[in-house]
Amino acid sequence: MSYILNTPSQIEKMLEEIGLISLEELFKHIPQKIKVKELNNLEERKSELDVLSTIDKIAKKNKGTNKFNSFLGAGLYEHYIPSALKHLLYRTEFYTAYTPYQPECSQGILQALYEYQSFICLLTGMEVTNASLYDGATAMVEAVLMSLRINKRNKIIVTKSVHPEYREVLYTYLRLQPYHIIELPYKNDGLIDKEALLNIIEEDTSCIIIQSPNFFGLIENIEEVKRSIKDKNIILIDVVNPITLAILKEPKEMGVDIVCGEGQSLGGNLSFGGPSFGFLATKKEYVRQLPGRIVGKTEDVEGNPAFCLTLQTREQHIRREKATSNICSNESLNAIGAAIYLALLGKEGFKKASLYSLNNTYYLLTKLRDIKKVSFPFKGLVFNEFVWKIENAHKILQQLEEKNILGGVALDKFYPELSDCILTSCTEKKTKKDIEDFIWNLKKIIK
Amino acid sequence: MEFKKNNKVREELIFEKPITSESANFFSTSLDEIKEAKEFIPSKFLRKDLPLPSLGEPEVVRHYTNLSRLNFSIDANFYPLGSCTMKYNPKVNEDIAQKEEFIFLHPYQEEKYVQGALQIMYELNKILCEITGMRQFSFQASAGAHGELIGMLIIKAFHALNNDKRSKVIIPDSAHGTNPASASMCGFETVVVRSTKEGLVDIDELNKKTDDEVAAMMLTNPNTLGLFEEQILDISNILHKKGALLYYDGANFNALMGIVKPSCMGFDVIHLNLHKTFSTPHGSGGPGAAAVGVVNKLVEFLPVPIVGKEKDRFYFNYNLNHTIGRVKAFYGNFSVILKSYAYLLRIGREGIKRVAYNSVLNANYIKEKLKEYYTPASIRQCMHEVVFSCSKQKNKGITALDIAKRLIDFGIHPPTMYFPLIVKEALMVEPTETESKDTLDRFINIMIAIDEEIENHPERLKNAPLTAPVRRVNEVKAARFPNLRWEKPGE
Amino acid sequence: MADIKFTKTHEWVKIENSIAIVGITDYAQSELGDIVFVELPSLGNKIAKNMPCATVESTKAASEVYAPLSGEVIEINSELNNNPQLINESPYDKGWLFKIKIANREEISQLMDKDIYKEFVEKESR
Repeated sequence: MSYILNTPSQIEKMLEEIGLISLEELFKHIPQKIKVKELNNLEERKSELDVLSTIDKIAKKNKGTNKFNSFLGAGLYEHYIPSALKHLLYRTEFYTAYTPYQPECSQGILQALYEYQSFICLLTGMEVTNASLYDGATAMVEAVLMSLRINKRNKIIVTKSVHPEYREVLYTYLRLQPYHIIELPYKNDGLIDKEALLNIIEEDTSCIIIQSPNFFGLIENIEEVKRSIKDKNIILIDVVNPITLAILKEPKEMGVDIVCGEGQSLGGNLSFGGPSFGFLATKKEYVRQLPGRIVGKTEDVEGNPAFCLTLQTREQHIRREKATSNICSNESLNAIGAAIYLALLGKEGFKKASLYSLNNTYYLLTKLRDIKKVSFPFKGLVFNEFVWKIENAHKILQQLEEKNILGGVALDKFYPELSDCILTSCTEKKTKKDIEDFIWNLKKIIK
Repeated sequence: MEFKKNNKVREELIFEKPITSESANFFSTSLDEIKEAKEFIPSKFLRKDLPLPSLGEPEVVRHYTNLSRLNFSIDANFYPLGSCTMKYNPKVNEDIAQKEEFIFLHPYQEEKYVQGALQIMYELNKILCEITGMRQFSFQASAGAHGELIGMLIIKAFHALNNDKRSKVIIPDSAHGTNPASASMCGFETVVVRSTKEGLVDIDELNKKTDDEVAAMMLTNPNTLGLFEEQILDISNILHKKGALLYYDGANFNALMGIVKPSCMGFDVIHLNLHKTFSTPHGSGGPGAAAVGVVNKLVEFLPVPIVGKEKDRFYFNYNLNHTIGRVKAFYGNFSVILKSYAYLLRIGREGIKRVAYNSVLNANYIKEKLKEYYTPASIRQCMHEVVFSCSKQKNKGITALDIAKRLIDFGIHPPTMYFPLIVKEALMVEPTETESKDTLDRFINIMIAIDEEIENHPERLKNAPLTAPVRRVNEVKAARFPNLRWEKPGE
Repeated sequence: MADIKFTKTHEWVKIENSIAIVGITDYAQSELGDIVFVELPSLGNKIAKNMPCATVESTKAASEVYAPLSGEVIEINSELNNNPQLINESPYDKGWLFKIKIANREEISQLMDKDIYKEFVEKESR
């Protein structure tokens, strides 16, 4: 069953009606020597039930965070997803539709994306955004490419406290181009080194990328950074986790020029890292530099409100300038999911998701501070995750795992200088008991 | 009171709805007390207000349900969008992707807890290698264009390693716009090669333009006119002789799956669109995923990690000597990868070939039945899609756009319009294999009826769509006066 | 009557003594469709012949405008910011793009006359 509807006799009839005898005739103009003889190593087709049981067997080899008391974060977070979200998002009129190039028969998608764009602008304080990008990492890259197009300079400064995998992606995209990426080390307290920053800024600096809360969970003082680079025409890019924007100040208010980040925390599943979506928001004056699809509100010929994709020529336009973006697809369904999440939770619910994550994180942090063998390399303000240090961290994490606890992400694979450091996160889904189990077991293990 | 045609009342913006509920009770706290943010963080870091709507669940559900009903989708409508392969999205794949053993996997969990996910990626790689003749795939790309970028980066890195300064990429004039954009992003200069009158790559011109500075050629086969490039072996010889590589844009692979392997056509790097050929849903524009496959000598350039197997254990292999690096955080769009795997298990060895047979049959059936009314762009036999030129109709004052919009009135999603650029007033029709003869006959009859309307009722075409939730949308106004987000009145 | 010349890339030039007025031709505007946005060069910019110096955007495509002659930009048609459709409505008159001070009069001879351009367009559109 290949989901093919035509019966053999219908196929015969169709062949007859177009003057052919067999299906093979449709391929006779293809050189015989390149045709496949046999696909030997493929299995025969399976019934639906067999597919389910085959995959079920494989699935049983997985043990996800729902089977643990998990405190993993580091870019993807497990927030509560209201049941209604899945029912709405998986209406076939959303998920089996294509990109809304024909607005008259896609008004639902277009309006949902327009509302999504509006939500992102409300959260970030920015004036314009697009209908989503692939993920947080590529959104950050797109922000840099935008910056290079806007001020036509050559140097990019990125703090080392930006997510390590995002920095890797930036490097992949740009290393074959004549740009310089300078990594700014973080200070002893884990925050951006403002003095060092001022020392490396040059006339040719296009943009500075900062993440807040940064990869270590620390809240950066962006207003101060902005003050120190004022009047230099350098674009300030801020990578944010949108769930924190329920409470933290809008990046716009702090002088950020381009906000970007990973949208998964807005109603998305972990799903082993994908799919999710990236967002990118900026000032109105940069709107024509914004990559990707954008939905606009307009009218139809009768004057009724209508939506359509707009400013599309930047996508097909093949400019010979340096670093033109080719990203034109988006993660529509995930973006619509984020809008539905925000609509369902609403003002109070979204604030709660963020505030409870904050409270839970500080509750855990406070309890950890009471444990003598635990130290804290960074002492600044945190939001939903933080870094702690303990001797033999890998062994500790392993032993916690045996107690069904995923204590956090060991940082040495990303930052060799941070050996024995662990990044731990709490969302609103953590209960008091979860946190106390963690502490109780940790204390036992340490003894 | 306002009534719209079809009784579809316009749905307000979610921000325009009055408040219906202030407290959402989706989760609670078990802490003894919840402190305000300012207890933890100084107010200078805090926002003053959060201008989100406050609506109860029934209101939100009604809003999005009504929005969904305004859309065409493959489940409800025939959707012959050329080059997009809008085939049926099997529902069992959705159930599989929602299994808790998959949705709760965090990418930073230890390998021992995600063996099932690694196995899926490993097995899909095996199947795709068998179908395409490639040696190894990467699943990191989120979309076709993303896959193209990976391909171009690999090609550039390969030549750089051989100290070969090749700056050009050859692209046919019929190519999709993302091809040259992807090449430019890697710093390549694009060299365009003409198509012949019949719509195939002009071999003589290709020969002339292929020199030692050419890094690669990007090719779709069948091409964007739906034609099989019969001289594909000559094409690959020309390029390989000059030390260049051949890149396959797999957007049209639905026509060749199980019939021809890209490796046998001489391709060195390919991308396959999992959301096209491999049945995963388009999701209103995403998420998709691309599988990027390479021949043996290019494996070490692939993005890391790829999945390896040692005895019974699957693991992430980061040891590719000349990897181009990551193109995305984490490992790829896993649930899309999972759905493709389930699809391939379901259709099996025989199903793969039947997909090609039936998609090509369906397109040719449409072509034969409509060729008297709409001029096919090429006299050659097409593969899984057929391009018509509506120039006959244009001479009578009706454009491809008008015809496309009129189809909406019949509940059919328009075909791809105005692509490829080398065909005037193009309509590209790709029915796919999951449509019945009955549906095709209905489409054919409607297209014929529309052609007749040009004589008798041209105003219906000029003003189409007549029965959609909105009439023809003013896209020029949208571009001239961009309104890209809701703003509170008075702001 | 100003002398009007054409380029292969569908720009027109009106020469008025030492100044050249530049725009895009009727053929160009009809191929592009409804113009929605124009990006003009900055005043004082020194442009070289054949260099892309402006962009004209429609809903279908965004096209580069190539300098027909070398010179310094001395005036731009800022009316186009709010009314880009002037290019569609009046491509040779109200839809002018920018004016330059001609740097090298010898370049003028490389431009096409009206009749030659007309022939050129007819050949292209076949």
